[in-house]
Amino acid sequence: MSQVISHSPGRSALQGVREAIPLLGGYIPVALSFGLVASQAGFSTLEATAISALIYAGASQFLFVGMIAAGAPLWLVVAMTLLINVRHVVYGPNLAALLPRSRHWPWLMHGLTDQVFALALTRLPQLHDAKRFSWFMGASLLAWGAWVVGTAVGATAGEAFTARWPLLGEIMPFALPALFLTMVAPRFTDKRWAVAMGLTIMAALCLTLAGWGNVAIPLTAACGALCFYLVKFEKRRGEQ
Amino acid sequence: MSSALWLAVVISALGTLLIRVVPFLWMQRRLNSEAGINNMPQWLSILGPLMIAAVLGVSIVPVSPSAVSWIATAIGLSVTLWVWSRLRSLGWPVAAGVAVFGIVEVGVALM
Repeated sequence: MSQVISHSPGRSALQGVREAIPLLGGYIPVALSFGLVASQAGFSTLEATAISALIYAGASQFLFVGMIAAGAPLWLVVAMTLLINVRHVVYGPNLAALLPRSRHWPWLMHGLTDQVFALALTRLPQLHDAKRFSWFMGASLLAWGAWVVGTAVGATAGEAFTARWPLLGEIMPFALPALFLTMVAPRFTDKRWAVAMGLTIMAALCLTLAGWGNVAIPLTAACGALCFYLVKFEKRRGEQ
Repeated sequence: MSSALWLAVVISALGTLLIRVVPFLWMQRRLNSEAGINNMPQWLSILGPLMIAAVLGVSIVPVSPSAVSWIATAIGLSVTLWVWSRLRSLGWPVAAGVAVFGIVEVGVALM
């Protein structure tokens, strides 16, 4: 009986919600900024919120609004938006073996962002099979809800908000690197993984500083994978 | 927003959704199917954790890069790692890291 209760969908979804809370530290300030930027570019609160709810992909939304405001042709806006989001193509296959089959995936996968993917890939293997669907639903819906609400607040009161608490927008996003650090740290006990991950982190950092943040994730992960295949450490005698 | 602009939003949204959902469903159907594969390809299981490392590298850059924010980032990440090595959990190390990062940023701003 206790097994049944601990695997109830409601509890698993709540666990997902609880474990996705650190993501909000990064989501809310960026969503507020997007709402503010969109309203300054001439979009109404409803329009900015609809863009966040439907497209739901941070970097590409900023690009979308910026290009529209600059008067770019719509086909180019759509093409660039999809080009930035194409990195998501490898996220789904990585989670495919960890999640059960369900007719709800076509709409639930809307919530598969960089951050939700990272959290799911780390946590799902540690969860019982019966918990995984509800856990993913809870975590991804919280992140999506925070993004949509944050955009609406940013579009209506973003200017007043950032003027009143200017440092908050700089402090809260630190939750993201802190969270990702706790996700990659366990791999650093293995020398081969440590070298590949160290290289990936440093390369992504440098590309972002150089203004190439959008291509940094797929490009540096591919470099890290190449490094993982090329670098092999000889095992010491007696080591299995 | 004009109807053409709404159409651009809808096409971008549908395209992004398809990028997310089609590879997931394709892999799920191939896994354990008779004609498909039994396990995930090795390169994909290596690429996954490295994507998280790349997201970490991208997110390390502070919102407003300055000497103070870089120092606060280094201290915050060190504290996060230290708390994680003690507790091996996700929540508390993040809370401790954000708190210390915030203390350094606010402390310097008040000086």
